[in-house]
Amino acid sequence: MKVTRRDLFVWGAGAAAGLVFSPVPWKLLDDTSIWSQNWPWIPQPARSPVEVKQSFCSLCPQGCALKVRMAGGWPIGVAGVSTSPVTRGALCPLGYGAHQLNWHPRRLQAVRHKESVSSWGAAQTAFAKACGEGPVIVIDGYPGRAASSILEAFAEKRGSYRVALSPELGALAPYERWSGVPANALGYDLENARTIVSGAPMLDGWGSPGRFTRLWAESAAGAKDPQLRLIQIEDSFSRTGSRAWQSVRIRSGSESALAAGLAHVLLDERLVPARGPIPRLTLADAAAQAGISEDAIRELARTMVERRPTLVISNDENPQVAALNVLLAATGARGGIVRRTKGTRHLPADAVNLNARAILIDAKVPWNFTPETDAEIFRFAAWDDGTSKSDWLLPAPGFLEELTDIPAAPTSAIETYAVAPALSKPRFEVQSAAQFLGNLDPSLGTTEKLIHGRCNGLFRERKGTLYGAARVPLEKFDSVQKVEEQLWKGAIWTGDPPSVGGWRCELKEWPQDPEKLRSRDWASEWPAAVLPPLAVKLYQESTLREAPERRNA
Amino acid sequence: MSARYGMVIDLDRCTGCGSCMVSCAAENNVPVLPKASARTGITPMLVRRVSNHMAGADHREVFFPILCMHCEHETPCVRVCPQQAVEVDQATGIVMQMPQRCLGCRYCMTACPYHARYFNWWDPGWPSGMEKSLNPGVAVRMRGVVEKCNLCHARLHAAKERAAAAGKREIDPTDYVPACVEACPTQAIRFGDLAEKNDPVSEEAKSPDAFRLLVRLGTEPKVYYKSKEKWVRALAQSNGGRSMEAEHV
Repeated sequence: MKVTRRDLFVWGAGAAAGLVFSPVPWKLLDDTSIWSQNWPWIPQPARSPVEVKQSFCSLCPQGCALKVRMAGGWPIGVAGVSTSPVTRGALCPLGYGAHQLNWHPRRLQAVRHKESVSSWGAAQTAFAKACGEGPVIVIDGYPGRAASSILEAFAEKRGSYRVALSPELGALAPYERWSGVPANALGYDLENARTIVSGAPMLDGWGSPGRFTRLWAESAAGAKDPQLRLIQIEDSFSRTGSRAWQSVRIRSGSESALAAGLAHVLLDERLVPARGPIPRLTLADAAAQAGISEDAIRELARTMVERRPTLVISNDENPQVAALNVLLAATGARGGIVRRTKGTRHLPADAVNLNARAILIDAKVPWNFTPETDAEIFRFAAWDDGTSKSDWLLPAPGFLEELTDIPAAPTSAIETYAVAPALSKPRFEVQSAAQFLGNLDPSLGTTEKLIHGRCNGLFRERKGTLYGAARVPLEKFDSVQKVEEQLWKGAIWTGDPPSVGGWRCELKEWPQDPEKLRSRDWASEWPAAVLPPLAVKLYQESTLREAPERRNA
Repeated sequence: MSARYGMVIDLDRCTGCGSCMVSCAAENNVPVLPKASARTGITPMLVRRVSNHMAGADHREVFFPILCMHCEHETPCVRVCPQQAVEVDQATGIVMQMPQRCLGCRYCMTACPYHARYFNWWDPGWPSGMEKSLNPGVAVRMRGVVEKCNLCHARLHAAKERAAAAGKREIDPTDYVPACVEACPTQAIRFGDLAEKNDPVSEEAKSPDAFRLLVRLGTEPKVYYKSKEKWVRALAQSNGGRSMEAEHV
């Protein structure tokens, strides 16, 4: 058989036509696309065994219990701890992405002095020099920790210790002035309240995420006549308002006027047993300022007392709103504001009038706290968003990089205590403010020693219950080592339920001149300078939340 | 007996906090994409805010977590995929997506009546070093493929491995819980085996307040919603649930 040139052409054309109908080109296309999609520089997760450890989030004072999955020494995921009696398995949405924070591009990696890189030695020398030249103010954002004791002890020798109040703690500040009981000793007995009138984002970042949201879900959600009535009063229709039993819209900044109007109705119609001072603002003026009718205020006041106990919670420090709780006899009462501990009075850190040679700001102070002062500022921070006016920026431990203890959350009705061990090592040299001051003055002790002392104190008192793998009353432990061992493994100690009574507020006159309320949401109260990168899912890749006005979010 | 994993989402309990969205992304190594928007981002779990469009005191809102509905019957995405990159796992009822087979034609995205599928427009990327925080149990998907919720299949694998190590043939039901279910602070999202009569989720799915989206298409979705609010049920049924897209605020 002779093969001609024509045969070759026919064979070639046939092969080309046949190839189109074979899987070969598709397979080639597929393989090419897979190859081109898997460039070697595409990140891949590290392959290593996963272990689960328990700790606590110390990013904000709520101190939520964490179940942390670790691989290769790094946290790779966090979840809540369902056995925690406080958070009951819940975290805030930002908490679920917090394990990525330590890798954030804005992580502060070196000491910075006036925008240029410096050293820990230079910072230490500059601070020691400042201490020798004049008074020093130490500002803490998370009081009650062992580290706070170190800050306080140092400040008492060299100047003064101040606390940047969280909005939750700020809302309790008026009661401190009226009764003398420290605000950090008070909490809300939400579980026993039947009506909660709120101007705070109760379902959107207020208090411990698991506490009120779970309570609301169990006793209010979806019911037309719920066991717990949530009445939300605010100037916009928030997420909390959308899920509340009743939502009342008022003009921005008119919360105090509405409180005065409600007080008028409560007293005039004898809806409350107590007699109290009558506000100067008339009901008509209150209605005009709040932008709702007098009848609406009357109706609201009657609804408030229909189901008692009634508790009023403000967004921030607002004496007139707080005075409503006094009229409603909700102070020192079941379902109201209770005293959980002795507490300690602290000077609040105002952003102005801070006269000192130097100011040291702890990393737990919210980033948006910027003092207006001529003093030299030494600010500890794990992340830097570039807006700080600090003279010195000192890298602090990041998420789960520091041993700390976790005192009771600001709104908690019961006393709690937990220990959050450091689960991962920082990648560069960091120091907490307590370590920094401890280096200057070794007599202050260390966080670890103080935590040991506190565990010892708990053991000696033998009160309360330890929630670990099981729920065990503290009196059943026979050594402090066993208590400590449980706490270091992620257990949480809870005190006995607070006794009602024992403290009460009295109003001699209706309070005036309330602080202007700040608008609050989940991001504005986030204490770190940056949000977890995955928060973009909430405000950029969905329309669930508005983009926070933060430069590096 | 094969399982039929599904969910019941109690809309009355959802506060729209978004914990489910973030925990889903963290669990499944969904990349952080600086350029992504609501249209181009990857949100296998997406919470939509919808209202009844009434004014004043009658105004009501509800949050709808939308994810792959894991359609049981004539699953639209499975039927259109030219690559057999999507299939219904007969042992679990989970609609599986295999990125290695996907060509990125996006027919499945067009076919999905719930808009629960997402295309990877960019190479996955994280800030330097952040890859150490990724979940080693889930592979990173490449650019050019479609992805969606797979009910945290990696967690099912892990539960099976634990069961096998303990010498058991069946997994402990409490050992397999998707990330969004675990994260929900109000326990609005509940997960279980719909084929198991005694499973609380299976019973809840039969509640008179329970409903599914786009039932008229006959695809038998395995994600149920629940609400006592009449307007919510009416909204989901009106126009086959498509009105939610317009309501999305």
